[in-house]
Amino acid sequence: MSSSVDEPLDLIRLSLEERIYVKCRGERELRGKLHAFDRHLNMILGEVEETVTTPEIDEETDEEIIRTSRRTVEMLFVRGDVVILVSPPLRTA
Amino acid sequence: MLFYSFFKTLVGKEVAVELKNDVELTGKLHSVDQYLNVKLEDVQVVKKERYPQLLAVKNVFIRGSVIRFIQLPASDVDVQLLQDSCRKDNQSGKGR
Amino acid sequence: MSDTSPAGTPAATPAQGTSAPAAAEAKPAQNKKVTEFLKTILGRPVVVKLNSGVDYRGVLACLDSFMNIAMEQTEEYVQGQLKAKYGDCFIRGNNVLYISAQKRR
Repeated sequence: MSSSVDEPLDLIRLSLEERIYVKCRGERELRGKLHAFDRHLNMILGEVEETVTTPEIDEETDEEIIRTSRRTVEMLFVRGDVVILVSPPLRTA
Repeated sequence: MLFYSFFKTLVGKEVAVELKNDVELTGKLHSVDQYLNVKLEDVQVVKKERYPQLLAVKNVFIRGSVIRFIQLPASDVDVQLLQDSCRKDNQSGKGR
Repeated sequence: MSDTSPAGTPAATPAQGTSAPAAAEAKPAQNKKVTEFLKTILGRPVVVKLNSGVDYRGVLACLDSFMNIAMEQTEEYVQGQLKAKYGDCFIRGNNVLYISAQKRR
């Protein structure tokens, strides 16, 4: 890792204007370009793809089916308190 | 303060607010404060049949902490400005 | 969240919601030990468990006073099963249940 990372938020700082992966509460995942963030992890993402995973029980077979739904949002503000994990794109610096 | 200033530039614009209880509201952004509490005007509930109790809501104050996402009108967002003020904000925040 | 303490001193302060009960009642001397522990595990393989029960295994890059964590070569385990890998990853501190140091790989 490059030496400019000395606190965790530096990792986010280095991801500005890059496409990042964000894992949110409620089985939600986002992929989008990071335009802005603050220390609460409030963020603005562009060209966002959201994936929501919901487990459902099949009435007949009693099996658990994992249902995923996708949608895209052009510009999205994400409130920091729903963020669990942020992963920047692989850096080759 | 970055996002407070940012949302002030969007006052009067159409936004869609998604709450942590899955309710989705669209409306015109009337105002915002430092906690990112927001007031919406001309409110429409996205899934009317699911939330009939919200049909009558025309104007609403939303506590910032119950918000999950806000969908923004991309054409009204100055990405360059946003990015610059974010960089500046983080720089000054470094010595905290 | 009020304005923060210096980022360079990852102390488990009583004000912090995520700190373990033992750390919350700790005297200053013990507090120091927590800080020292956190310093010694930088660059070491760790397991980070979140409140949701999900485990992250990887190399601890750095952490701050909110227990925000940066990790490298991270593997995500859900119910003991490997679910995903991340090159670098940032974990928001409020989700952290514990950080456990592993033997050097």
